[in-house]
Amino acid sequence: MNYNSYETGYNTSYGAGGGTGGGGFVPGEGSQQSPGGRRDYSKDNLRPVTVKQIKEAQVDSGDVFKIDNAVVSQITFVGQICNISAQATHTTYKLDDGTGSVEVKQYIDSDAVDQPNPNKAKLVEGAYCRAWGKLNHWNDRRYVASQIIRPIEDMNEVSYHLLEATAIHLYFTRPAPGAANAGAAATNGGAGQQQAAGGGNHGDYDLRTCSPMAKKVFQQLREMPQTNEGIHQQVIAAQLKMDMSDIAAAGVELQDSGLIYTTVDDQTWAILEPEH
Amino acid sequence: MDHPQTPRILATHLSNFQHRIVRVLGKVVQLRGETAVIDAGGNIDVLLNRDSHLAVGHAVEIIGKVDQKLQIKVQAATDFGTNIDFNAANAVVEATHRYKEIFYDGE
Repeated sequence: MNYNSYETGYNTSYGAGGGTGGGGFVPGEGSQQSPGGRRDYSKDNLRPVTVKQIKEAQVDSGDVFKIDNAVVSQITFVGQICNISAQATHTTYKLDDGTGSVEVKQYIDSDAVDQPNPNKAKLVEGAYCRAWGKLNHWNDRRYVASQIIRPIEDMNEVSYHLLEATAIHLYFTRPAPGAANAGAAATNGGAGQQQAAGGGNHGDYDLRTCSPMAKKVFQQLREMPQTNEGIHQQVIAAQLKMDMSDIAAAGVELQDSGLIYTTVDDQTWAILEPEH
Repeated sequence: MDHPQTPRILATHLSNFQHRIVRVLGKVVQLRGETAVIDAGGNIDVLLNRDSHLAVGHAVEIIGKVDQKLQIKVQAATDFGTNIDFNAANAVVEATHRYKEIFYDGE
């Protein structure tokens, strides 16, 4: 499941030279870089779990953990503090949620020592708290490296968390009720893709409302090698062996649909990266 | 595993958890000095320890051992206040036993 991606912000940057000259809106270099260069944040997730699930998480490779066969990056859970031990660099809380107990280490941010954390006073033995963090292991001991631990104010959160953890566990282990439905409704892009089966693959772009001509132009624009500046409509016309006026009409249609945009001049187009 | 698992149960599960340590969230019905009655899907007699401070009408979470008479000998008690949604809490108990793979190890 793709919970979210934080990538959209990296895809565009504003042209530096365009101060008065009509504003260059140029896709940034970032989006052109080869994949693999940066971490794939789109796979990051935050999963509610029970301590038993933490204890039984499989080590996939290195420090990658899997729960219910799904990679977990961050976890959150609720537990009762049964022991606190403060060290110079970190505080270790032992949390018990009834399904087991696990150590949670919160490293002390030396930049923030001046501002005492008001939460900390409430984190006492016997109190319930919620922790967020990353599952780790060291010398065969599992612990959670936590950024945030906060006391629980409303005890219903304990029930809430355990039910949420159950729901997510079931999500990963059982076929969803009405799985066929869920699949169909999963993404709009999915529908677009199916529909595009006849005329090539349009990926995440929704071309359902476009004319056949516009689809053809879009497909051509997508497949041709190009720079940030996109492609001039004459080049597209030559490639497709179509009339310039047809290409221009298709271009207007695609611009109106928000699928392409003009770059250096009105006749040069590039594909607008979809937001996920 | 220094801390034992404490499965969440209701009154109806007591007989299945004899001699085990359990966790019960219930409402305090009656205080009788050394003992108390809490309602968790039915009344449960609990044998208090010196540190337990129960208040009638409050929700309380008890960790303790189920004895032969299906009473719970308290090891720890946490006050959960007066604003507890017992439907949610009971749903947790149901989930605990139905999907116990993420809650506790079987016998």
